[in-house]
Amino acid sequence: MSTDARDAVEDGFGHVSRTVGTVFRYLLLVSTLVGIVTLGVLLVYVANDAIRPLTADPGWHLTFVLAFALPSLLVGGYLYRRDKSALFTGLNALGVPAVSLLFASAAAMLFVDVVPPLIWFAYVVAVAIPLVVLLATTRYSHRIPFLARVATLAAVTVASLGVVPGAIQSLPFVPQAWLVVAATLGVPVAGVAGTYADRRWGRRAAVSVAVAALVATVAAPFAGPTIGLDPLPATVLMALAGVPTAVYVGTVVVNQPERRVGLLLPLVVVAGALVGGAVVDALGFAGPQAWIDWQFLTSDHSNTPAEAGIYPAIVGTILLMVVVALASFPVGVGAAVYLEEYAPDNTFTRVVDVNISNLAGVPSVVYGLLGLGVFVRYGGMTPGTVVVGGMTLALLILPIIIISAREAIRSVPDSMRQASYGMGATRWQTVKNVVLPRSFPGILTGTILALGRAIGETAPLLMIGAPQIFDLPTALDARVGAMPLQLYVWATTFASPEFYTTALAAGVVTLLVAMLAMNSIAIVLRNKYQREQ
Amino acid sequence: MSTDSLTQDLTQRTENSSRELLARAFFFGCAFLSIVTTISIAVLLVTEAAKFFSITAPLVGVEGETATIAEFLTGTEWRPNFTPHEFGVLPLVSATLMITFGSALIALPLGVATAIYLSEYASERARSFLKPALEILAGVPTVIYGFFALMYITPALSTIFPDISFFNLLSASIVVGIMIIPMVASISEDAMSAVPDDLRQAGYGMGATKFDVSVGVVLPAATSGVVASFILALSRAIGETMAVTIAAGSQANMLNPLNPLGYFESGMPMTAAMVQLLHGDITGGGLAYRSLFAIGLTLFVITLAMNIVSDLVAARYREEYE
Repeated sequence: MSTDARDAVEDGFGHVSRTVGTVFRYLLLVSTLVGIVTLGVLLVYVANDAIRPLTADPGWHLTFVLAFALPSLLVGGYLYRRDKSALFTGLNALGVPAVSLLFASAAAMLFVDVVPPLIWFAYVVAVAIPLVVLLATTRYSHRIPFLARVATLAAVTVASLGVVPGAIQSLPFVPQAWLVVAATLGVPVAGVAGTYADRRWGRRAAVSVAVAALVATVAAPFAGPTIGLDPLPATVLMALAGVPTAVYVGTVVVNQPERRVGLLLPLVVVAGALVGGAVVDALGFAGPQAWIDWQFLTSDHSNTPAEAGIYPAIVGTILLMVVVALASFPVGVGAAVYLEEYAPDNTFTRVVDVNISNLAGVPSVVYGLLGLGVFVRYGGMTPGTVVVGGMTLALLILPIIIISAREAIRSVPDSMRQASYGMGATRWQTVKNVVLPRSFPGILTGTILALGRAIGETAPLLMIGAPQIFDLPTALDARVGAMPLQLYVWATTFASPEFYTTALAAGVVTLLVAMLAMNSIAIVLRNKYQREQ
Repeated sequence: MSTDSLTQDLTQRTENSSRELLARAFFFGCAFLSIVTTISIAVLLVTEAAKFFSITAPLVGVEGETATIAEFLTGTEWRPNFTPHEFGVLPLVSATLMITFGSALIALPLGVATAIYLSEYASERARSFLKPALEILAGVPTVIYGFFALMYITPALSTIFPDISFFNLLSASIVVGIMIIPMVASISEDAMSAVPDDLRQAGYGMGATKFDVSVGVVLPAATSGVVASFILALSRAIGETMAVTIAAGSQANMLNPLNPLGYFESGMPMTAAMVQLLHGDITGGGLAYRSLFAIGLTLFVITLAMNIVSDLVAARYREEYE
């Protein structure tokens, strides 16, 4: 009997059942994928409603599969087999123009519909004058006392902002809009491109890159009309999308010869799309009758889904994001710098610390009440304007920016700070010359992610009294709507089966594209930053 | 440059120079703004809500119609825009509770499983795909989740449960659950990654399998972080606004939170009631306007309390390994 028992033990000993572990492992994997797959399916549904690919001619699909999808996949597969980093370059060379085109279009919308170029020009000059004074004083004289310099600068800024815009707007002649934009955008863009080239290829290349960028920007308004673009948007697109793309491609060609082959991918994609379009036109195949089309993106709201568009909401979102970024970025980074670099370890610091993490958990609808109460009811501002909405959203994302900026600042190695102090730098000099430049990519990533959250916030805008039906906002104190607000209005006030699968679906896709564009920039930036560290 | 001025430059005290003080003051101001924000939220909500309750209204000098605290906290009808006005918060609380509970049923198990998978099982490659995907799950605007619930999830549910109403709590719970999965997952995963490798190795050394180590060693060691993530995610579910406003409906039905059939009906959570109030009279401070702040205060207090409890749990029960 005793031997039986020992045999039984020995049989079991050393045998571990793998079943439980395997089942558990796949259970975990499935749980992880449930949420992601559900969202994926929902996205496919809404994209199907918005684009309606099945309404297209079979010939249309066939043409694009042959001319566009197949060659792109083949080239992609070839690059993947050959050299993954080249494939990466190819994807970047597709992503850089796509994303910069999105942002350049946003800027172009502002120039065309919101900010008259003359007023823009006036304020650019008014801000440029104090900047030049600042540069001149720091460069040529170290003997002026600091406070005197600050006072001079403040006086110059106030005087410049007070006098220059009026003076420029009363000029006897009015320069062409595109000329103004070409000058005010082309010069800084050329400057940035030149600095970039200077760091990589030296002074001589920098000059030619800067001149080329400037020439391209000034030439764009003449070249634009030949492909059906107005001079003004053509200028903006060239300055903010064309030049960055060219600089990226130039960098790859000059600095990474082994990756040059990756540029084949964007080439094939663009050529495939063009060829496909031409063939479809020539053979007369009808494309899909998508709800999300040019008409949808450029029209105002309407009570009938077929005529409804989202343009005022897009412009409203862009304006709101500009205000949110301007208001929250400096304050958020400032608070993070204080907490990481200056704050003594005392009760006040701990209170601020706990307070910020709690603020991050306050529901957005409560921030809306804050905006309603503080800005509208007690601050006496008009409900639902760009400024009120922007400041409310800025308060909402401030804790997120502070938390991510603190993390970025904390990741700067302490040895660099010690080195800076060791050379006699003061605390502010250390922050300015060591901590901030080193943590800037991380801070930027966090800010973009936070803005990506702000872009989808609806409840605060509703609370501060943003109008349900809104026009194109043309000033900072105009009442404003935004993309998510427009979606909410379509989903409730205009609730009807026609709206659900038509304009609403198209609007959802538009908002998702905007949000995904922001998130993908942040994710790419973060990956690059982490690799470099 | 003369030697004197050089010496002066090198020996002058820089810590209190005006430039340093100005920079310091600016950074301090930025940090102080967060305190100002909290104080303004608290003061605003309290003073405006005080005008709503009859017991406090005389203190802030408000005349006219008010509601009693008892009526607010125990009333079972919510009718702010039609006479006779009724301001009972219970129907709203019941809907909020049900959505929170329903979304927790979905998000907590899935979130913890995701965290274990990401921290213990997933390869570096799988993580590099899954983590951004989860971020996108959390980043999709909530108004879009509401639309998904209304447009795609409710019709799908009605093929299984034919008597489900067009606006229902079930679809709202599902989308809220999906959107808080990443929150549970990322905070729990941080806690699990912080468990030192020694503990795992000790487990393997005793002959434990990976399953035993994950469930028997890592999960217990990370309990405080996991519980903290639960509380934070629930507080997010309570404060969630747009998805539930669109999906759950705008009828303040009094529901029994213990009755699962209630998920097939429509209800109005607290946040949806706040949005709904805005369609009524908010222009100049009527009772409906003030009730907005009374609900806001309730919501703020609940979420703040949950955040603080979550912090305390994380700090109090954290296992220190150093």
